[in-house]
Amino acid sequence: MAINSISLLNPTQITNQTNKLTVQPTPYEAQQNFASFLNEAIQSVNNQQIQSDVLTQKLINGEDVDLHEVMIASQKASITLNATMEVRNKMIDAYQEIMRMSI
Amino acid sequence: MSIFKSMNITSSALTSQRLRMDVISSNIANIDTTRAKQVDGEWEPYRRKTVTLSANEGRFANFLNKAMGKNDVGNGVQVTKINEDTETPFKLVYDPTHPDANEDGYVEMPNVDLLKEMVDLISATRSYEANITVFNANKAMLTKALEIGK
Repeated sequence: MAINSISLLNPTQITNQTNKLTVQPTPYEAQQNFASFLNEAIQSVNNQQIQSDVLTQKLINGEDVDLHEVMIASQKASITLNATMEVRNKMIDAYQEIMRMSI
Repeated sequence: MSIFKSMNITSSALTSQRLRMDVISSNIANIDTTRAKQVDGEWEPYRRKTVTLSANEGRFANFLNKAMGKNDVGNGVQVTKINEDTETPFKLVYDPTHPDANEDGYVEMPNVDLLKEMVDLISATRSYEANITVFNANKAMLTKALEIGK
């Protein structure tokens, strides 16, 4: 389990805020930030799937793993995947909304 | 991840109830066991085993949260100990033909009470079901949350 940070604002956030006041991020930077954020999110979804796969594999190999743990891992993976699909649908909606804009 | 905290707590409860079920299985399986362990060269019958459950709040993050005045629900439940029942005496059964009978023809049988074990068995099964219900309710909440804005 991750330990929650002590201060509400961690040092990187503070520097980000000061940066925001002085320089606006260029569109290229904004895109890079968004891409890395998306990459990390999908990575964590993938990790849940891998975790579920590993537990299922252990169960069918007859290792010492409880059935309910396997089921819970698969449910967690399913929920994270559903959440990702929701985010993707929202993104595609936004993109299509912009593309439909008449110029 | 904090959205799965409730699921992790439920998981700990399910694991505890499984272990409790294992202990009950062992008690019922050994209801006629006259040779469980040797004490001073003499065989002693099986002793009834029970589990001790305690709230799992012993992690560093939990103590830190509490010390900082934040609310912390802990990490669920855990089995701290499997105790042997030394209070209840062994049952004496008259059977002179038994190899473990004493000079008077009595055999010491385990202090397992089948009725008690059956009650514990139902209790463990029902607790397991209750926790599955909690899990399903939690999953329904998360699924509903994903429907926000649809």
